[in-house]
Amino acid sequence: MKIKVLLGVAAIIVFTSLVFYNFGNSISTYVDFEGAQGMKGAHVVGTWDDTQEVYFNRETMQFSFWMTDETGNKRKILYPRPKPNNFEQATQIVVIGEYRGDTDVFVANDMLMKCPSKYNDPNAFEMQEASS
Amino acid sequence: MNEFLSWSELGFLGKALINLGFTSALLGMMTAAFASLQRPPLSKGVWAVSTKAFWGLQLASVVGASAVLLVLIANHQFQYYYVWNYTSLDLPMEYLLSAFYGGQEGSFLLWILMSSLLGLGLMAWTRAPYRWPVMSVMGFTQVFLLSMLLGWSFSDGVLLGASPFRTLLEEMPNAPFLQANPDFVPADGRGLNDLLKSPWMMIHPPALFVGFAMMTAPFAFAIASLWTRTYHEWVRPALPWTLSANVFLLTAIFLGGYWAYETLSFGGFWAWDPVENASLVPWLIGTAGIHTMIIQKKSSRAHSASLFFAIFAYVLIIYETFLTRSGVLANASVHSFVDLGLYNQLLAFMIAITALGFGFYFWRYRDLPKPKKESSLLSREVLTFTGSMLLLVLCLVIILETSSPIIGRLFYDNPTPPDIQFYNDWSGPLALVMGVLTVIGQMVFWQRHSWVSLGTGLLLPTIATTVITAISAIMGQVNDLYSITFFWVGWFTVIGNGWVMGSLLIKKPALIGGTVTHIGFGVLLIGILASSKYSTFMVPPVTESFNARVAAGEAFDEDGFPITTQIESFELQRNQPKVIDQQYMVTYEGYELKDTPRPGTQVYTLTFQPLDGRESFTLSPEVYPMSSTAETDRVDWSVDPDILTGWMSDIYLFVGGSALVERSNEQIAAQATMNEAAMSRTVSGQSSGASSAGAQAAPTDSIAVVSLLPNNPVQAGPYQFTFSGYEPAQEDEVPENTQVAIRANIQVTHMPTGRSYEVVPLFAVFIDEGENFTYSPSLRIEEWGLDVQFSSIVPNDESIEITVAGLNEFIEEDWIYLTVEKKPFVSAVWLGTFLLMGGFSISIFRHWGRDTQAKKSKHTSDSSPQPLVA
Repeated sequence: MKIKVLLGVAAIIVFTSLVFYNFGNSISTYVDFEGAQGMKGAHVVGTWDDTQEVYFNRETMQFSFWMTDETGNKRKILYPRPKPNNFEQATQIVVIGEYRGDTDVFVANDMLMKCPSKYNDPNAFEMQEASS
Repeated sequence: MNEFLSWSELGFLGKALINLGFTSALLGMMTAAFASLQRPPLSKGVWAVSTKAFWGLQLASVVGASAVLLVLIANHQFQYYYVWNYTSLDLPMEYLLSAFYGGQEGSFLLWILMSSLLGLGLMAWTRAPYRWPVMSVMGFTQVFLLSMLLGWSFSDGVLLGASPFRTLLEEMPNAPFLQANPDFVPADGRGLNDLLKSPWMMIHPPALFVGFAMMTAPFAFAIASLWTRTYHEWVRPALPWTLSANVFLLTAIFLGGYWAYETLSFGGFWAWDPVENASLVPWLIGTAGIHTMIIQKKSSRAHSASLFFAIFAYVLIIYETFLTRSGVLANASVHSFVDLGLYNQLLAFMIAITALGFGFYFWRYRDLPKPKKESSLLSREVLTFTGSMLLLVLCLVIILETSSPIIGRLFYDNPTPPDIQFYNDWSGPLALVMGVLTVIGQMVFWQRHSWVSLGTGLLLPTIATTVITAISAIMGQVNDLYSITFFWVGWFTVIGNGWVMGSLLIKKPALIGGTVTHIGFGVLLIGILASSKYSTFMVPPVTESFNARVAAGEAFDEDGFPITTQIESFELQRNQPKVIDQQYMVTYEGYELKDTPRPGTQVYTLTFQPLDGRESFTLSPEVYPMSSTAETDRVDWSVDPDILTGWMSDIYLFVGGSALVERSNEQIAAQATMNEAAMSRTVSGQSSGASSAGAQAAPTDSIAVVSLLPNNPVQAGPYQFTFSGYEPAQEDEVPENTQVAIRANIQVTHMPTGRSYEVVPLFAVFIDEGENFTYSPSLRIEEWGLDVQFSSIVPNDESIEITVAGLNEFIEEDWIYLTVEKKPFVSAVWLGTFLLMGGFSISIFRHWGRDTQAKKSKHTSDSSPQPLVA
């Protein structure tokens, strides 16, 4: 009986630490372009810089644009898919990826866009401003 | 309009009914508690009778409030915030019904309605000693749920609940337009979220909330058992309810998954999204509870585990409700609800349920029956129990991940959502162990086995599994160890449980529920791995070879850096077919616009011609502007994939971009600038008409003058023009005083497609007031947007000149980016799910039947039991 309890406790401890170790590795923190240096799968939050060139390469199906992160750094982003439909409307973009070699070009393997939804903005009433 | 009540009175009635429901739930909870405490328990005492009355009143109020909300929605009463926010005039009736539960308040109301109905069933079918304790717990949960809809505001700004019947004025009292005119009623509402305009989304929420409501039953029975210290009998009535709750939750999960697969473009049926997890996690614990309840019924063991799971399943429902509805996950999930400011209330609900459940559990823990002697390792008790524990472990891992916005703060200040890989890394291996265990468990469950006899019994299934796995691995070109193991376990689960089912079918077919469920699990395992890991992008040969170079690390971009991502989509010009996956010739035939159910939907027609001569088929993916986010100066585009479902594989495709979408965007942008320009012109008081001419003209590079000698083809742009001779013009086609009138026979061929048209443009010279004029109207080839004009005759060398406009039009105008995926054995995922549902349903009937039989012989019941028929 004693041994069983001990084994059980040991199993729980091993399991829990393994899960937490793994969990800790599976999440990371949002960074800016400076912080993303040398990281793999870095999450950078920012907005599209529409003053710079937006380009789509039809051969390689690569979409490129410039993004400004939250601290104001600007980087060129390469996204290996066609331009997402809601790209222009996004109020916030999260690019997930890493720098290409030791250049300043950031390759976004994944890209999330936060679009304004009226459902999350209960105070917007068509054209009129409502304050509450 | 309404004869008895004005619309504003109707809203007031709705609020009153919610308040009445809340009050009667509160009173019913208390009277049921008193009825439980009464000794001896009476079924006709004053407390019992008043509990029945209060529950009836509560049900009537909730039904009434739901009817009021439905009437307001159906009659477009946009002065009510909920109606305005989630519906619009153009919604068809079925989606008006969906809009009822399209928002937080309405979905709470649906949940309450289902729980209220369930309470009625529990009151009718539950017997002493559980009847009144169960009703008291049901009342307790209803009090909390109804409090979410109260909409009481206190003087210090504290709000209790959000009423579905609040008006615009109550929602935004400070809005200037409402202050100017408090009776303002908007002409139209904001409409239902376009993604929810799907038949699957009409039935998904009701199924889910029936499941949520039914999961209250095992919780209530567990509390009743702890309360009355009768630890053995409660599983009999609780088990059928738990099984039913599981069937409904599974149905909801399936509907949600199918909806995600065919409506969203992430390309799968499961994304480990927190909202999806919210329905999966209680299901897993419900399943674990079903396992331990069965052991408890059969062997009078695992009492504490059954109670634990029955409590935990409901606690998890409330916890996941808290996560998805309080705004905690706002950044982590694609579809969590609007934050209504119910954070504190939801937190209180969660704490109350956890405290009641686990508080009671640990208070009584020492009192719980313990097994007198240890079971052997190879007993059905130990194996079934281990299965439950694995389900618990899997569940804990998923909860950890779902809670990452909270728990992640232990690691980082601003944690990112977890990597999906984490889920797969843990759930995969756990599922493998479970799969093997189901077979051994089922073997041992129906027959006593020693290690030797078990080994002998497993020999044939193992050989059969290995052979079938080998064959399928060779056919499917599966060559990594993990996948082979996974498929082996999947097949083993199917074959092993099928083996047991075979012998049960001969002896007692009513018992096959468990084996059917476990076979379903095996089929699901095979389907999940095959459809996710072996799904491939179908692309043209050029892209295939490019992707092969990427895979080999031999592809580089303009700057010489290696490209690491394979190309998933390709461009398709209208009427210019491409061969994809060396299997199909796919042609983009064009698009159509349609306005139902979503205005401005672009329907693209794609024809697939199999190269091996099978019949061709058509797929119609859509792109539509999201009306839920639309404003005058911008549009959000959403894609709606199309799927060809097959037994072996599905073809899944969506349009990721198109000329049409780009043009619409340009138009919207141009419209916006023009509106601005028009506005500024009015302001400055100047007018200018000079710029309009230039804007109308086609780009110069698409216009060309082509000289044609007879029967001498000339190329321009993607077209070839052949002038084959003249034709006389009819007199009535030409102006008065015409000197010369002639038509030229010209054949125009679009070279990439080889299609051609004959045009016969006119050239005429006429005299007006002594001067010579030419008359040469251009002819249009609609399909290509090409205009051909016979502009002059060159007398010297028999040649003519034509002017063509729109040479580049065709190329520029109609293309799409298409992503096509081949997903093998998605059918197995659905089949596995149906088998799970079927197996659970067989078990419901069996346990319900046995439950009522057992009771009839033991007690004289105070209400006649009826079979559970959905």
